[in-house]
Amino acid sequence: MNSIRAAIGLLSIFVVPLILVGFPLYGLYKRVPVYESFVEGAKEGFQVAVRIIPYLVAILFAIAMFRASGAMDFLARALAPVLGLIGFPPEVLPMAIIRPLTGSGSAGIVVDMIKQYGEDSILVKMAAVMFGSTETTFYVIAVYFGAINIRKTRHAVPVGLIADGAAMIIAVWTVRLLFG
Amino acid sequence: MLNYIWAGLIVSSFLFAIGNDASDLARDRYRNGQPLPVVLTFPQGYDSAARRVPVEIRIDPRQYATFYQTDPSVAPAASYPGYLLQTREGTQLRFAAGTTLPEPLATIGKVSSSRDQELQGRLVGPAPTASGVVFEPVRFVKLNGIAAAALDFAKTAAEIALGLVGVLSLFLGLLKIAEHAGIIYALVKLVRPVLRPLFPELPPDHPALGLIALNLTANCLGLGNAATPFGIKAMEELQKLNRSADTATNSMVMLLALNTAGVQLVPPVLLLGLLGLQINQLVFPIIGSGICGLIVAITMAKLLGRLPGYRASDPNR
Repeated sequence: MNSIRAAIGLLSIFVVPLILVGFPLYGLYKRVPVYESFVEGAKEGFQVAVRIIPYLVAILFAIAMFRASGAMDFLARALAPVLGLIGFPPEVLPMAIIRPLTGSGSAGIVVDMIKQYGEDSILVKMAAVMFGSTETTFYVIAVYFGAINIRKTRHAVPVGLIADGAAMIIAVWTVRLLFG
Repeated sequence: MLNYIWAGLIVSSFLFAIGNDASDLARDRYRNGQPLPVVLTFPQGYDSAARRVPVEIRIDPRQYATFYQTDPSVAPAASYPGYLLQTREGTQLRFAAGTTLPEPLATIGKVSSSRDQELQGRLVGPAPTASGVVFEPVRFVKLNGIAAAALDFAKTAAEIALGLVGVLSLFLGLLKIAEHAGIIYALVKLVRPVLRPLFPELPPDHPALGLIALNLTANCLGLGNAATPFGIKAMEELQKLNRSADTATNSMVMLLALNTAGVQLVPPVLLLGLLGLQINQLVFPIIGSGICGLIVAITMAKLLGRLPGYRASDPNR
């Protein structure tokens, strides 16, 4: 088990340098004008970044308002009894609600929970596994669809949220099974 | 869907802000216009005629709790440094800048503050010992708060996007080399058996498959910065096959599903920083839950795409 982990860790260190050096090197071998190709591709970087601005502003400002108004805390409290039925402790609920919305906000929740319950508590473990096994769905949607100007997202939002929900429930159950 | 969620976020924030502010006003949470009892201690040999006199401000915890009807656990500190300032409107009491104040004084301090961010109020009662201090009335804190948050995050969003320019340029440049050198096509051949079933709309040798493979690999290894440009490039390739300009295809939703379900073989750096080596115990639960999320994401992307409503809106129908 440990050797697998070490191998993965090593691999992740080598991937970026491998891409940085390997792509141009292989390009040279294939007689590609590497410098010209690079600059041609890199030109798009700025346009892509600028293109996602409106989408990111739309998502992030709405989420910031929602959090500042106290509505997010209310939602967490209102949903607690319902989710208690499937073994979801109310303490980790804010994590479940905020995780798809903001990455930094949910990291803040982990910090807050460590302060409140201590590093070794099972609640912190649940929150950490929830954090690690899901993504900031709304941010990903804003960036990826924004980059190609897709406004009608069809089933992307429900799919992302259902997957997040499933991963979180499994996270809570697994942690309870292993450490409970 | 996103339309409703987005509008819902905005409308509910407004309603909640208004509701909270109204209940604060109704309960008179900030005791607008009423003097908070304070005791001032002056340094020895102070000049009572001076325009500015340093003082020590003491607030009795019990009086504080009854005045603001707060929980005794949020008691004020033993004393606060501050100073008295003679102005045309009377004597002003200012708390030194940077002092941590208990709620609701901290909130009051955001409204009733001097140019240097010091909590300030008008001194009432017989000087120099005085009996109380009246702060500027505090109203509609939450409403101001959501407006400030919106402006603040609009700025943050633009900063995040522009902050990506460098990394995007770097990896999009490398990808162009990879494209010209045929690396992407080699990758397509490699991952086709695995990815083809997920993206049946794509022609068998389409370069998007190679980019998707790069995107997913970078994601699994926790290289978010490198993963984003690959994902964006893959989306651009998918968009070339899209008959509509602004509607997502099933393939796009699938790519997004693969990305929002974050399978992380390497635990996020952030968690490592917060939890230290304890993360070792959590690696397998994280990978396990992530894989479950991925399976659910793929299944839901396929299933929901077959629903009549989403099938009708499919641009490649």
